[in-house]
Amino acid sequence: MGIEILQGIISIIVILGVAPMFAGMVNKQKAILTGRIGAPIWQPYYDLRRLFKKETINAASSSFISRISPILNLVTLITAAAMLPVGFWKPLISFNGDIILFAYILGLARFFQILAAMDIGSSFEGMGAAREATFALFAEPIFFFTIGSISFISGLTSLYDIYHSIQLTNISYEVFIVICSISVFMLAVTECSRMPVDDPNTHLELTMIHEVMILDNSGFDLFLYQYSSYIKLFIYAVLEISFFYPFSKQSYLLGIIIFISGSVGLTFVLGIVETITSRYRMKNIPQYLLFATAIGILNLLIYTFTK
Amino acid sequence: MLEFSIFILLPLLTAGFCYFVKDLRIQYSISLAVAVLHLGLSLLVFLGLYHTQLPTFFSVDSLSKFFLLILSNVYFWVVLVSFSYLKRPVMPKAEEGKKYYFLLINFYLTANSAAMLSNHFGMYWVASEATTLSVAPLIYFYRNEESLEAMWKYLFLVSVGIAFAFIGILLLTLSAKGTGLEGKQLFFWEFVRNAAQLNPIWLKASFIFIFVGLSTKIGIAPMHSGDIDATSNAPSPIAALMSGSLRLTALLGVMRIFLIIRPTTSYEFAKILLIIGALLSLFVAFVFMFKVNNYKRMLAYSSVEHLGLISLGLGVGGLAFIGAMYHAFYNSIAKVILFLTAGNIHRSYKSREVGKVYSVLTRIPKTGWLFLLAFLAISGIPPSGIFFSEIKIFEGILFSDKPYLLAIVLFFLLFIFINMGKIIFNMLYQKGKDEKPQTGTEKFELTHFISIVLLILLASVAIASPEILYKNIISITKDFGMNL
Amino acid sequence: MENVLSILFCLSLFYVVVTSRVKAYVTVLRVQGIILAILLMIPFIYHFSIFGIILPATLLLVKVFLIPRYINKVILDLDIKRRIEPTIQQMVFLPIVIASMIVIFLASNILSKSTELNVIPFASGFSAIVIGIYIIMFRKKLIVHVCGFLILENGIFLFGTAVASELPMMIELGTLLDVFVVVFLMGIALNRISNTFEGFEITDLGRLKD
Repeated sequence: MGIEILQGIISIIVILGVAPMFAGMVNKQKAILTGRIGAPIWQPYYDLRRLFKKETINAASSSFISRISPILNLVTLITAAAMLPVGFWKPLISFNGDIILFAYILGLARFFQILAAMDIGSSFEGMGAAREATFALFAEPIFFFTIGSISFISGLTSLYDIYHSIQLTNISYEVFIVICSISVFMLAVTECSRMPVDDPNTHLELTMIHEVMILDNSGFDLFLYQYSSYIKLFIYAVLEISFFYPFSKQSYLLGIIIFISGSVGLTFVLGIVETITSRYRMKNIPQYLLFATAIGILNLLIYTFTK
Repeated sequence: MLEFSIFILLPLLTAGFCYFVKDLRIQYSISLAVAVLHLGLSLLVFLGLYHTQLPTFFSVDSLSKFFLLILSNVYFWVVLVSFSYLKRPVMPKAEEGKKYYFLLINFYLTANSAAMLSNHFGMYWVASEATTLSVAPLIYFYRNEESLEAMWKYLFLVSVGIAFAFIGILLLTLSAKGTGLEGKQLFFWEFVRNAAQLNPIWLKASFIFIFVGLSTKIGIAPMHSGDIDATSNAPSPIAALMSGSLRLTALLGVMRIFLIIRPTTSYEFAKILLIIGALLSLFVAFVFMFKVNNYKRMLAYSSVEHLGLISLGLGVGGLAFIGAMYHAFYNSIAKVILFLTAGNIHRSYKSREVGKVYSVLTRIPKTGWLFLLAFLAISGIPPSGIFFSEIKIFEGILFSDKPYLLAIVLFFLLFIFINMGKIIFNMLYQKGKDEKPQTGTEKFELTHFISIVLLILLASVAIASPEILYKNIISITKDFGMNL
Repeated sequence: MENVLSILFCLSLFYVVVTSRVKAYVTVLRVQGIILAILLMIPFIYHFSIFGIILPATLLLVKVFLIPRYINKVILDLDIKRRIEPTIQQMVFLPIVIASMIVIFLASNILSKSTELNVIPFASGFSAIVIGIYIIMFRKKLIVHVCGFLILENGIFLFGTAVASELPMMIELGTLLDVFVVVFLMGIALNRISNTFEGFEITDLGRLKD
């Protein structure tokens, strides 16, 4: 029991510590692939430190929502992170049904962010909030049709158990898992506002989704937002990497090695995807998300009927 | 082996020959020789004077004998008239179409004979798809916009329809799962013998798919549109060929599956489906006869009507079934006359619109009179055979369990007759606006001769009513298990 | 293994539903042809026979090389624009497709209780048939109609393997040949249509009416 709590605490520390580096690695990959040298992978830490030191200035029209939203955002994301099996270890928070909590605690984070964006009263932030809400509407089913369908098939409802129920026994189940991981990848791309859904580097308000919502935040608030977005990226990365669980059954060490190499590999994949795709037009994004949902539905249908 | 080479290989070889020899006259004479051989042999087979031994996938039964004879008959007359038709300078652009005319028409004969003689669903499918393929370029003979559009629509619609029929065939194999038929090939008679064991759900589904799919080719409403466009825009001999034989090829497929479904519990279901299709076709013909202003389209709708009547006869069964078989024969002959004379009218007036055709009887009297006679024949005026076959169908309906159908059918037929008559009499008698009184003299052409011969055939077969025809039809009826 | 290939087949169907480029349709046709060829070759892993390999080889030749190449050539020759010109919004189309597929899968699952059949290829094949029809219905470009027709044909093929119908090889080859000639004729017709009507859309064809 004691060792599991320790593992859980270590997991959270790892997430909090490594998340910015993960984002930095993705950016570095992308830079190298496009022929630039790019910022060092530590760059996110420098950015965070810079923001941390700065003073927060809130818009005159904003209310208390804007003040509590950043910190709520970070707290909810850390809570969500505490449910993840980092390095395939048992997480700190794990109980039957935590898959629902996980999905909606992320939803809560988004809710406050949208609220805060509208609270400022600027039309740009409002637009960004509207887009974020619309796309979230399409993104949520993806989660339930992928992770949810594995849960449905295995009959387990805790994230840790769900991932540990994955077995490579028969071929249709393997395909099922592979397709689920594709769906999760598409979900990750959406939720973390990466290409091809959103471009994190864009600075044209008309095309931004996530970035436009935090346009008016500064200093410590921006630090919190940035940090939580790094954590979010890493959370989804962990969701994706956890599909490799069946390969790491032998020992803890193997699990850790696979986890680390999986993360690095994922940065490669993200970097490549971001390099070779261009951002979709705004009206095509719901279709992209619906496509991921469709894959999930198909997967579920096919697997349930082959059993 | 001789019959196989004459029915299938020889036309194929001729098609290949026509590809290399460009001279139209040689192509024509060889095609005609093939047609004569084909007609002669199928007549011999029909009369029972020649016993066939065909390779696997092919065999002859009374139904295919009968339909093969109809095909050869129509094909022979069409080929006979083709050369005189091709010689006419109809449209400058059509020169290109002439090059491939005999090639395609020979290929059509191969494919259609193969479809008629096949005793295997797969073979039937391949062959009847091949008939579509051979006819589609012929529809585009005139190389104008309308014919191009008609060809595209026909090709596309019928290909999709035939694909549906293929699904039906696959479902038929599915219905044989778990019975003695499993793993055996899709031979018709194997299925007919073991029909009672088939799974009824899949059998029904199979019938729906095959019937709906092939309706695109038969021209049964509501899938008739591609067929109408094609028949009305194709050159007249091809239109005659399509109305007279191609539609029956597709009907053959429906009759095969109908034969399989007969001993099963799904029989009633299939009958009702056929009757619904037939009534819809009659209804469509009834509605469009009011507004049609293109006389070739009118003839095409008349084909829809008559194929509807035939499938009504199939659906009702009994005496109506016999009537339907006779009707298939007579209708094919009458359609040839109608389309050939309509082709003559088209040549003199350069238009297919009813409004632009006037006083046909004074300007081209021979064609006019033959057209009138053919119209009377197709409308079932005695002594045309259509009269007798229609009477049989009506009698069958009257003594079946659904006598009320007769009222609906007669109502539709009456109005179709009135509207068709109105259009045709307008064409024949109405004076043009600024027409000078002229009495044209028309040369006596091959088309007139053929029309006269066919009219005589139509009446004489009906009056003489040869024993052999009757026996064959009775034998078909026995195959379908109907007691009279 | 059949199930895996069917899943891939379904994924290709989804892709064809969401894409808006004509070229993507051709790519999907290629992929589907490869999937079907592999499906046919599976039995030969265990019992190899030269005679039996003819059909998969022909299928590969016709569906993967000849037909897609020919369609690409037509696209190139006629300079067809790359957008597919849907008649309904893509956003509406995908849910319709998903709904139909769910219905098909559920229905075939129910049906499989009474008859022994391979649900996944059966339902995937049927979905392809339905999606082929949808594509013909909801797209304007004629070349896309041809692709829709071919997807329908591929669906029928998959469907055929699912019901384990053993058609003789001659017939299967005849079927392939027929399909190829249909596409060939359609290509020629398209060529003519582009010369005559100066357009490749179904709306250009509206002369024949009553």
